[in-house]
Amino acid sequence: MKVINYLLNTFLLLTIIMITFPLIYNIFMPNKTINFPPLCKTTIKLAFFTSLIPLMLFIYSGQESTITNWQWLPISTFNLSMSFKLDYFSITFIPIALYVTWSILEFSIWYMHTDPNIHRFFKYLIIFLFTMIILVSANNLFQLFIGWEGVGIMSFMLIGWWFGRTDANTAALQAVLYNRIGDIGFMLAMAWMMLNCNSWDIQHIFMTNINTPALLGLILAATGKSAQFGLHPWLPSAMEGPTPVSALLHSSTMVVAGIFLLIRFNPTMQGNQTALTTMLCLGGITTLFTAICAVTQNDIKKIVAFSTSSQLGLMMVALGLNQPYLAFLHICTHAFFKAMLFLCSGSIIHNLNDEQDIRKMGGLLTLLPITSSAIMLGSLALMGTPFLAGFYSKDAIIEAMNTSHVNTWALCITLIATMLTAFYSMRVIHFVLLNEPRFLPIPVMSENNPNLINPIMRLALGSILTGFLLTTSIPPTTTIPMTMPTMLKISAMLVTIMGILISIELFTLTNKMPIMPMIHTHNFSNMLGYFTHIFHRLKPLAGLQTGQHIATMLIDLGWYEKTGPKGQANLHSSLSSTFTSTQKGLIKYYFLSFMISMALTLMVL
Amino acid sequence: MLSININLIIAFTLALIGVLIYRSHLISTLLCLEGIILSLFILITLLITHFHIFSISITPLILLVFSACEAGVGLALLVKISTTHGNDYVQNLNLLQC
Repeated sequence: MKVINYLLNTFLLLTIIMITFPLIYNIFMPNKTINFPPLCKTTIKLAFFTSLIPLMLFIYSGQESTITNWQWLPISTFNLSMSFKLDYFSITFIPIALYVTWSILEFSIWYMHTDPNIHRFFKYLIIFLFTMIILVSANNLFQLFIGWEGVGIMSFMLIGWWFGRTDANTAALQAVLYNRIGDIGFMLAMAWMMLNCNSWDIQHIFMTNINTPALLGLILAATGKSAQFGLHPWLPSAMEGPTPVSALLHSSTMVVAGIFLLIRFNPTMQGNQTALTTMLCLGGITTLFTAICAVTQNDIKKIVAFSTSSQLGLMMVALGLNQPYLAFLHICTHAFFKAMLFLCSGSIIHNLNDEQDIRKMGGLLTLLPITSSAIMLGSLALMGTPFLAGFYSKDAIIEAMNTSHVNTWALCITLIATMLTAFYSMRVIHFVLLNEPRFLPIPVMSENNPNLINPIMRLALGSILTGFLLTTSIPPTTTIPMTMPTMLKISAMLVTIMGILISIELFTLTNKMPIMPMIHTHNFSNMLGYFTHIFHRLKPLAGLQTGQHIATMLIDLGWYEKTGPKGQANLHSSLSSTFTSTQKGLIKYYFLSFMISMALTLMVL
Repeated sequence: MLSININLIIAFTLALIGVLIYRSHLISTLLCLEGIILSLFILITLLITHFHIFSISITPLILLVFSACEAGVGLALLVKISTTHGNDYVQNLNLLQC
């Protein structure tokens, strides 16, 4: 019995318990709030280093484990127990989530410095992290659902942080409602598993054959949580929350929960072509549509939010290609550069005195050097520049797509979305960093605070190194064909370079072309494809109007006046007045024609 | 076919033509209607006695009864018309004509 066998389980459980320490501190000593934020940050830093040990053990020996603690509900044949599944996915994701959270907590000490409720903000963030870890390490669907709902609720509370603002309240409500629709799919899948597999444990589920309805339920859950097309409007609206919330929840951690669920269940989906095709097409539509919407947005946080949505669509495409490990790799690398992009936008927003419109920014290249370098680094990583973090995952996904026998349409729209990624990233850089400032010279800009600089530096380091570290230390279990024609191999890079060149060309033209009044494509893109207008206004209006008509007008107008007695009376009188004019009363001629036709019939017969 | 049947069929056809074609008096229509009924009555009775189908012997009697009712209705209409118009010319019956 070597000690090393116990280290994995011990250290990971220790990590999870360490995360609860600030919460317990807050429960028992709720009035000591001065040092609470730094306490949270230090605890998460320690938890990160503690969770590195299981990661090292896994890389060294490939050891995975499942910890089952105690039984909750032993109903005669259905056992529900608290169990943690520590496999490649959770052991890799937990340190990354903790690293990103550590940086974001340090950043929020600077960002939310003037907020009187900063300790409550940190408490919410820690609760969110705790539920996210529960979600990631869950071995049965019930525990996963606890984490799932937990992250949903914390998302609601954090988006509506500034609850005095109407837009923030509606955005929080929108997030919860759209997530609820996804939860219906999750519950459908849970009910199906309970009835057919008699267990909610992942090991038991993998041994049975899962039918399509349960898998479609899981895909619906992922659509809700990961903002795929159809249930996507909550993600750009969620930018009403403070920037650390956007960085943590809506870029790295919560929105990947849906994709993570599908990655966990990938052995059941490998054989089911319907589920794979659904994921492929859904991911393709999502990535293209949100990339189109991102091109004409003017709020910097919304552009990054749509970029997140587009990358989530790309992860879904990877799942549809039956490559869950590539999707997971993309989750890990995407967390770094997307969180960094959000932190940089937070730095810009605060330094410009709460200005979020990119048309009113400019010239920040020389004014905020560290932030602008980080934005450029993050954008390059997002575009898939060779050998930065995004390259290893994004290029691998596009290569896998190019060499597999899938829907060519999905392939084409993913390539177009890649080009649009380059396009809107260049747009951000052009408007925010280049040329002359378009804001008033009132705000005092400083990057001197270490609480601002260190997180951005740390995440930049992660953006550069993560792809390399992850791909070299953990070999993939499903390999993609590595040999392909040259044009296919460099297609992603070519498309990106084309996007950059087109964007540079357009930007040199924009300050010379005259203003055109009504461009329909611009309106389509700027108003998010009119999706919110139709589904938030027209459809409820139609439903409510139908209800009102049924309640008030159906009996009186419908049954009495149109169909019933009055309607019959009107019908008969109008019909008779119409037909009366055809009767001319020519009796003699009618009789004559009768007789002649009778005679003719008799003659023929 | 027996010759008496042909006679009766010719009588029926002539009465029918008389119902359908009339010039000025409504009573000629009613008279020819009576002619139709009469020829039908005799035809059915001859059919019964010729083929010995005595089970439907009641049929001509029923026909006669109904013809009496209908003749009564026709005459009542005639009386009403001559009350309002003073004669029974068919060109007076143009109330519904447009």
